[in-house]
Amino acid sequence: MQGGSSGIGYGLKYQARCISDVKADTDHTSFLTGTLSLKEENEVHLIRLSSGGSELICEGLFSHPSEIWDLSSCPFDQRIFSTVFSSGETYGAAIWQIPELYGQLNSPQLERIASLDAHTCKIKCVLWWPSGRQDKLISVDEENLLLWSLDSSRKAAQVQSKESAGMLHYLSGGAWDPHDVNAVALTCDSAIQFWDLRTMKKENTIEHPHVRNIDYDSKKKHILVTAEDESGIHIWDLRMPKFPAQEFSGHSHWTWTVKCNPEYDRLILSAGTDSAVNLWLASAPSGDNPSESLVESPTRQSNPLLNSYTDYEDSVYGLAWSSREPWIFASLSYDGRPCAFILETCGHTGGGRISEAISSEKMKANSLVLWYGTIPSHCKTLLADFEFIGIHTIYFI
Amino acid sequence: MGNDDLPMDEKAKRMRDLLSSFYSPDPSMLVSNNSPSKYASLDAINTPSFDPDQYMNLLTKSLVTTVNGLDPDQSMNLLVQKSNLEGLLQRHVEMAAEIKNLDTDLQMLNVFSWFSRGTNLEHVFIYNSSISRMNSNIVGMEANMEQLLEKIMSMQSRSDGVNTSLFEKREHIEKLHRTRNLLCKVQFIYDLPTKLNKCIKSGAYADAVRFYTGAAPIFKAYGDSSFRDCKRASEEAVLTIIKNLQGKIFSDSESIQSRAEAVVLLKRLDFPVDSLKSQLLEKLEQFLSQLQLEQCETANDSNHSNEPSNQGNAEATTHEASVVWTDVLLIDEVLPEAGLADFSLEAAHVAIKQYVTSRFSHLIQDISDSLTAQTGEKDGEEYSLLVTLEASKKTVVQGSMDILSDFRQLLDDKLDLLMKLKGYIIDWVQEGFQNFFRSLDDQFLFLSGKNETVSQDQGITDGLHGEKVLARLVLVLAQLSVFIEKSAIPREIAASFSGGGVQDYKHGPAFIPGEICRIFRSTGEKFLHLCVNMKTQKISVVLKKRFTTPNWVKHKEPREVHMFVDLFLQELEAIRMEVKQILPQGLVHRHHRSESTGSTTSSRSNPLRDDKLIRSNTPKGRSQLLETHLAKLFKQKLDIFTKVEYTQESVVTTIVKLCLKSFQEFVRLQTFNRSGFQQIQLDIHFLRTPLKEIAEDEAVVDFLLDEVIVAASERCLDPIPLEPPILEKLVQAKLAKSKEQNPPTA
Repeated sequence: MQGGSSGIGYGLKYQARCISDVKADTDHTSFLTGTLSLKEENEVHLIRLSSGGSELICEGLFSHPSEIWDLSSCPFDQRIFSTVFSSGETYGAAIWQIPELYGQLNSPQLERIASLDAHTCKIKCVLWWPSGRQDKLISVDEENLLLWSLDSSRKAAQVQSKESAGMLHYLSGGAWDPHDVNAVALTCDSAIQFWDLRTMKKENTIEHPHVRNIDYDSKKKHILVTAEDESGIHIWDLRMPKFPAQEFSGHSHWTWTVKCNPEYDRLILSAGTDSAVNLWLASAPSGDNPSESLVESPTRQSNPLLNSYTDYEDSVYGLAWSSREPWIFASLSYDGRPCAFILETCGHTGGGRISEAISSEKMKANSLVLWYGTIPSHCKTLLADFEFIGIHTIYFI
Repeated sequence: MGNDDLPMDEKAKRMRDLLSSFYSPDPSMLVSNNSPSKYASLDAINTPSFDPDQYMNLLTKSLVTTVNGLDPDQSMNLLVQKSNLEGLLQRHVEMAAEIKNLDTDLQMLNVFSWFSRGTNLEHVFIYNSSISRMNSNIVGMEANMEQLLEKIMSMQSRSDGVNTSLFEKREHIEKLHRTRNLLCKVQFIYDLPTKLNKCIKSGAYADAVRFYTGAAPIFKAYGDSSFRDCKRASEEAVLTIIKNLQGKIFSDSESIQSRAEAVVLLKRLDFPVDSLKSQLLEKLEQFLSQLQLEQCETANDSNHSNEPSNQGNAEATTHEASVVWTDVLLIDEVLPEAGLADFSLEAAHVAIKQYVTSRFSHLIQDISDSLTAQTGEKDGEEYSLLVTLEASKKTVVQGSMDILSDFRQLLDDKLDLLMKLKGYIIDWVQEGFQNFFRSLDDQFLFLSGKNETVSQDQGITDGLHGEKVLARLVLVLAQLSVFIEKSAIPREIAASFSGGGVQDYKHGPAFIPGEICRIFRSTGEKFLHLCVNMKTQKISVVLKKRFTTPNWVKHKEPREVHMFVDLFLQELEAIRMEVKQILPQGLVHRHHRSESTGSTTSSRSNPLRDDKLIRSNTPKGRSQLLETHLAKLFKQKLDIFTKVEYTQESVVTTIVKLCLKSFQEFVRLQTFNRSGFQQIQLDIHFLRTPLKEIAEDEAVVDFLLDEVIVAASERCLDPIPLEPPILEKLVQAKLAKSKEQNPPTA
């Protein structure tokens, strides 16, 4: 369990569970995170990766009424986000807007755009459509799926439709298909349910118990990744839903969450209650591997686990890829310490940067190198030195 | 000259005597060659009453030596003369040689006379006179020779006369002879149909064919005229023969040899052999496929028959193969162009290959049967995992060894056919083993339900087996994998392979024990993990129910230890019992540690924990707690999720650890009021003792139990713990109650 590069750290005051990538912020790589404190004043932090990529800076700190169980940033407006919160027996979900002039205010208050207050039982999550502007919003509680129409200018959210998941199906979460605005996958105790939002009907079900988290591959249609308590990670091809297409061992304890890379398909991140974050590379489905590189990494065939980041001191519940810089991800362990990790990557542009990267000081730490595309021939000799320098995880995708 | 004959002889004789008395030469060296026997024999030949047979003999003999270019008609006559002349010529040569001898004698005498001249004048005189006499003798001999020639000439003319007088007779005899032959032949042809029929009746087709082919040219020449009836009759007979022969060829009851003979006969009868050949080939193909079938049958037989007869299978196969091979060799002898040897080699190839694969697949079936037979019986009250494991182990090893010995036997039989394939067979068996273990691995995965793509159709039924059975099975599989990796392959199978090592690898050995070991090692680990996961999952369900059902925020004051701990401990105990059956004990014994570190940790941790909880009420104290707690977690993190080992303690401890971690996670998802927190506190307090008994690593268990309480206090709105005396009281009450409920187990 070695080899994780030490990440760029940050500290929250309290315990925390959720972190979200601010997708709409195209200028900076920033994340939103909220605390989970039963008795103290909770906070939402807007943190940004400095331009050098060396530290996480707090861009905004806002107080939040109660402990945050779910937080997600609006994919088309960087100032809007949603939270799911509870306090003792009360629970709620709301859409918030970061005040425009928060930098100049002393104690900026979050502006509540809308309250998603049509729930009758414990709310699990709020979903935005990940692929663009969409005035719809989904919220999931233990028993129901609600579709909201959100009018951010009029600051109102209305329940468009509401459907019960059925008796004895306790919903635990869900994911909105980035390829199909009408398709939502929900997880419950014993199965994954696929809903069509137009009809608000359950279209399909995969009987697969103990799913804790679910994520669609944003690049490849029909691909869904699930995280389970004990049995690890499964990749599903929804065209063949009977059996998982692939299976990873997951974590030593529960696999809490999985996130597909927004840019590079097959690259999957998972976090678990064994205080670790694992980076996986799914093997290409047979038949379509268009940009397979010249260099075949032998380890890749046998071990899909690319790297394991283990510098955490408590269970990791929060995980987010940066969609702006898809080689950066942020993780959040329960002790309230968000951590950003940068996977060293050399982009598509050719050999210049890879040789730079190899010779740079940074590479002497055990960092993970992702190289997309083919390797320029003059770099191959440099690559031969990798072992010598002491880097042992190089993957060519 | 005739007058001088006598005195000349006299003189010569005297002279010779003289010489002989003087030099003692051979006294009878001159005249003895005149043997009259030659004349006699020649006369005998020339006598008119000679035997014609003898004549024929002579004729044939002399033909060899006759001068080329002679008219064969005259040959007889000449030969009579020649044998006479030969004699004469011989005599002439002999005489010439005599003369020569005499000449040398004379010269020698001259020489001697020279020598003796000086000693005895008288002698000289005698010599001189004798020499002159000898000279005259020789002259006389010449005259004799001429006389002789004359005699020869007259004899020749006389023998010519005899010859001419005999010639006609001879010619006549010859003519008669030829006629007789012709008559014989005609007789033969007239008899042919009856003969043929006789042959058909007796089945002597070979003779019939010989007769018919002998007569064929005659039929060809005269068939349309004089022998028409005869020809027709015999052709009919031949047609029946052909029919019979064909029947013979295609009848399976006939031996291959007789069938081959029949083909040869047909061929001699100018039967269209090509069509016949193709037909025959078809037939042979059938025959071959039949052979193949037989082999398959043998293979199948050997597979379907049960253990006792297993030994005999190889023998049966070899026997079968040997029978087939001798047949094939026979066919090959008579019909090399059929390439039967190749065919049969191919057939044997296929058959043996099939045999190998079927053997292995059968073995796999055996193993999975023995695995599922006992574990599958849910109703069978007393089935121990150990029995299953041992049975499976035995099946693996015994089955493999059986296969090996079978094939070794096959090779040892030194059957020609199999010897040719020896290299292949060894390769196949090795390959077979490689594939066998691979598919055994697959089969294991399939049985465990892990490999869901394989279990497509059986997945549902497997699911019905229930987790309990499956988890047991997985445990057995894990242990079996270890067994295969650790002992079965390296010790038994690989060892016996190296013993029978044969040089005939083309691409290196097909059986790589190392690879198989690696596969099984990883499979074993996988199964162990799977087993642990399954068990944990089961307990997780219990825990989940425990945490999701009550409303923790409105929890009532704890009155007793919650029931779920019983369930929890019961499950753990069951796991322990199962594990105990199969897995070996770890090297480190529990009591060893509990004496030293374990007890101290627990005694120390209790006040510490209480201290923490009290302090955690203030914010400052809380963050301090968090820090120390984090430091502790960091220090011990690696201890929580250690590698599972194949020991009872390791497995049980891992399960306990995972369950406690799950416990913690479930707690973190809830919000508690004071009573809810106290209930958790009480339950954990109760669990502490039995869990430490069950698990190996007391320190970690203590730590994790503390963690649960910390998590509960964090998620509690009003975390005021129960007083230790109350805790103790409630725990004692619970213990008393459980003792009361089931005294025998206690």
